[in-house]
Amino acid sequence: MNAPFAGKHGESAFARLCDELRPDLYRFAFWLARDRQVADDVVQEALLRAWRSRGSLAETAAVKPWLLTIIRREHARLFERKRFKTVQVDELIGSESPELAAEEVQETMDVRRAIFALEDDYREPLVLQVLMGYTTDEIATQLGLTQGAVLTRLFRARQKLRKQLGLAATGEED
Amino acid sequence: MECLDFRRAAGADPGHLGVEATAHRDMCPTCAEFLRQTLVLDERILAALRVPVPQRNATAVTPNVVAFPRVERRRWMALAASIAGGVVVGSLLWVSGPRASLAQDVVRHMAHEPGVMVMTSAPEDASQVERVMERGGIRLRSDAGMVSYAQTCRFRGEKVPHLVVQTDAGPVTVMVLRNEKVPAPVKFAEQGFVGTILPAGPGSVAVLGPTGVDLSQVAGRVAAAVVW
Repeated sequence: MNAPFAGKHGESAFARLCDELRPDLYRFAFWLARDRQVADDVVQEALLRAWRSRGSLAETAAVKPWLLTIIRREHARLFERKRFKTVQVDELIGSESPELAAEEVQETMDVRRAIFALEDDYREPLVLQVLMGYTTDEIATQLGLTQGAVLTRLFRARQKLRKQLGLAATGEED
Repeated sequence: MECLDFRRAAGADPGHLGVEATAHRDMCPTCAEFLRQTLVLDERILAALRVPVPQRNATAVTPNVVAFPRVERRRWMALAASIAGGVVVGSLLWVSGPRASLAQDVVRHMAHEPGVMVMTSAPEDASQVERVMERGGIRLRSDAGMVSYAQTCRFRGEKVPHLVVQTDAGPVTVMVLRNEKVPAPVKFAEQGFVGTILPAGPGSVAVLGPTGVDLSQVAGRVAAAVVW
């Protein structure tokens, strides 16, 4: 079996790849958790697990989806262990300042607030599609859904965002 | 394809229209406008999703950090509490809290050395080890353990030997700091590392390992194996 991340050279290659992917991984974790500290912890734990198992990877292209899967599981695991308190969206946004809010234009903050308010089922596929560049087929695989279900969620996610942002409706109710 | 079908398709995946949807877009100005607005919305969504990544995450990604991640704050608190409660520190100076200290600089330096502090049975090239030792004006006795990495690194403006030694407690990093004096042994725990800086020769020797490694025996032995 081809093992691109085995051996000393593989270790460095894997580290470089993680380095490149880390902003995406962090952002994905952030939008799962909607909390910087949790996102940071989840990414750290996920990378630790990934590092230990990197030898099992057969191809470089598989790394990103594999890491995202680990992050999802890590987040779920963390969520099972700890019951996070329910917070209001405005409180959540407010708590992110100044790091998150600083220098951001109001328009971006409005959209961010609307995304914060989306239910997990709608937010996650949207993040995978828009931020990660996944196809609907890949999202379906990642989330264990049918492609039809993914398309429905993506459509509704945008519907909800339009509504939140006061944009024109599209002719179909939620 | 009807307009409603087009809007469902474009509203779900505006970047990947099928043949039928593309044909419909070309003949229906209203739906073409809907698609344009959806793509603009997606640009706004993307901008919003790109939250700032903390600097630490953007720059300090190395196998060291990957392999031995930063200790969760609560875990660190528990660790610090158990150490404070159960260990007689004696003459050791425990350094804790935010600071711009020698210990912190050592940890920061670690975060910029990719792929080195890993368990391996592969020794560093002997000539490389010799070159690094020679530049640093030191020798490392073989009883310290096998050297799996040796590099001359710039640290606080000086060129210092940076070694990874495979010990029975696991791989540890050794930095030989000829120009950094410490009045007493300094222990620290940061970003997933534990370490000790020991007075040695004209300066000091820093020995670091991942959190969980018992450096109490190893640090002294490795530091003592440095011959100035």
